[in-house]
Amino acid sequence: MLQIIKNEWRFLIRSRIFLGISIAFISILLLSVFLGNYQTRKQEQTHKSAKDHVRQQWVSIDEMNPHSAAHYGTYVFKPANLLNSLDEGVNSVTGNVLRVEGHVQNEIMHSEASQMQAISRFGKLKPSLLLQYIVPLLLIFLAFNSVSNEKQSGRLKLLVLQGAKPLQIILSKTLSVWLYGMMLLIFVLLVYSILNFQSLTIDILTRTGLFFLSYTLYYFIISAITVYFSARWQNATLALTSMLGIWIIWTIFLPNILMSSAEKWHPLPSRNQFQSAMKEDRSKGLDGHNPSDKRAIALKEKVLKEYGVDSLSQLPINFDGMRMQADEEYGNSVWDKHFGNNRKILRKQKQSFQLGGIVNPFISLQNSSMGFMASDNLHHQEFLLQVENYRRVFIKTLNDKQTFGGSKTGNWRWKADNTFFKSVPDFVYKPTQVSIILSNYLLDLALLIIWSIIITVVIYFGTKKIQIV
Amino acid sequence: MIQLQNVSKSFKGNLAIQNLNLEVQKGEILGLLGANGAGKSTTINMLLGFLNPDSGAVHINDIDTSHNSEETRKLIGYIPENVNLYPYLSGLENLDYFCKLAGLKYSKDELENYLEICGLENKVHVKKVSGYSKGMRQKVGIAIAYAKKAKVYLLDEPASGLDPLASNELSILLKKLASEGATILMASHDIFRVREVCNRIGILKNGILVKELYSKDVSANELEALYLQFMQN
Repeated sequence: MLQIIKNEWRFLIRSRIFLGISIAFISILLLSVFLGNYQTRKQEQTHKSAKDHVRQQWVSIDEMNPHSAAHYGTYVFKPANLLNSLDEGVNSVTGNVLRVEGHVQNEIMHSEASQMQAISRFGKLKPSLLLQYIVPLLLIFLAFNSVSNEKQSGRLKLLVLQGAKPLQIILSKTLSVWLYGMMLLIFVLLVYSILNFQSLTIDILTRTGLFFLSYTLYYFIISAITVYFSARWQNATLALTSMLGIWIIWTIFLPNILMSSAEKWHPLPSRNQFQSAMKEDRSKGLDGHNPSDKRAIALKEKVLKEYGVDSLSQLPINFDGMRMQADEEYGNSVWDKHFGNNRKILRKQKQSFQLGGIVNPFISLQNSSMGFMASDNLHHQEFLLQVENYRRVFIKTLNDKQTFGGSKTGNWRWKADNTFFKSVPDFVYKPTQVSIILSNYLLDLALLIIWSIIITVVIYFGTKKIQIV
Repeated sequence: MIQLQNVSKSFKGNLAIQNLNLEVQKGEILGLLGANGAGKSTTINMLLGFLNPDSGAVHINDIDTSHNSEETRKLIGYIPENVNLYPYLSGLENLDYFCKLAGLKYSKDELENYLEICGLENKVHVKKVSGYSKGMRQKVGIAIAYAKKAKVYLLDEPASGLDPLASNELSILLKKLASEGATILMASHDIFRVREVCNRIGILKNGILVKELYSKDVSANELEALYLQFMQN
């Protein structure tokens, strides 16, 4: 087998056309890695500068009523992840700025796609675009006539006569084509690692390793099917046409069809439905700005009783802050209910879509690629959850200051000083560790492994039917 | 030794070979003459073990090719009409590659020696095969079989398309191989070349061996007349 692989590589190295294509493609890959890295670094800088600016604004508040500060709010920016330079996943369409304020959970805004001059179907030139779409095409073009050419030229007879078994020939050809894909993949990861050497962490290396594994399996599947078709079909054109058909179905049609099906099976409420339901549930709760609200009155009675006083003016605390916090907590439970439901639906959609990997390994590749590069919707949802948790701490800190900071009920002119505002914690994003979310992608990896095994078994048994003459 | 005993082979109901009995001894060259579709290539493919006969038995050195094709292939050197080697490799590299596939590791000197024995000039050993003539490629093909130490040589239209000089060189080479003890079966259209090279000649028509004779018993012209007579009847 090694001899056949070595001979195939001699062809790759000595074929001027292929060498030219390889050099051109490697240059484009190199460019995509540099561009991806440059964009990520630039995003990191922009993110840091925006975050510093907003924080500076916040800590510069000289004096302000804490509840007014809650309305004034702050901004949270979705940090650029180093891994996104390889696969930006859904990040360019999900938005990256969230306004954090009292009473309301705002939606994330300023998606990169909405500000792009040229919105491409395939997105920006990132290594994942080339690794997912173009490298498999190259492998197909490399493999489609690998066996049929030997058959048509009569060399297959000579190879078998010299002792090479058809199974060995097909597996060797598969491995040599696969190794070409691996070479391109390793090249990308090597350049990426060199460029980001100082920022590499165990988590990033683990994720990159799993990313590598997913592509390794997918390239094997593509190479093996193409070489097998080349061996089974009578002519190379048929093998090429079949593989291009599979490539189109796998990469263009099936992902759209399966995603639409998953959305149909587990539909999210429409924006109007969602907002109406939220509004309705919210209206059933306590209105923090309305002292005459029934629930506000009940809370007042409870607090007065706890403190053993008859009126709000006798309270040693500011009841307004307490009422605002009660309003906030009710709003939080409404958010938990509705957004929790949405999260559940999104998770079901993802799981259904993942099952599409049974018929389309490209889906498993895309899922695992985005997942391991922390740029899929699951990671985005984790970010939104962290922002919401921060918002709750942020608003509670302000409401607690309003309540226990020394002001009296009804004194809306009372102001907290700059020391307090400086003490309010800033948002710190904790990147989700791959060990925590790995279980979400095991199905994708398992399906890619199963596909690889099935193809190998098909080759093993199918080779017996291949006619040498 | 090559033996075919009552061999028949059909494709989708069409008989390609019918009760063929043939024997080629060690050191002998048998020429199979016949028109296109006479069954020459089918016979060779059965000897190579790529096709199994519907009935009868095919043996190479007393080993049945249908059941032990891997064993018999080790004994066979096959030279097709067009020896399509790897064009990006030199003659030397092609020989080295095919030898390694057969599990044979030769030094560069040994490989060059094989090529020289088979008539390929030293100066072209390291040139890419894409620049070789048909005759030169055929010499490499024979060198592959020779380096494999084949006991049986099967040649399918070896002289087709060769210039007279190359064709003559091939004849000399085949005679040399036979003198060293090789068993050779050569399928061809070329009556004159077959008459010149082979010890015995068989004429195949529609899968039937219609005539078998010794070369020394007929002149080239007589053989041609005989051949045409069989083809026209």
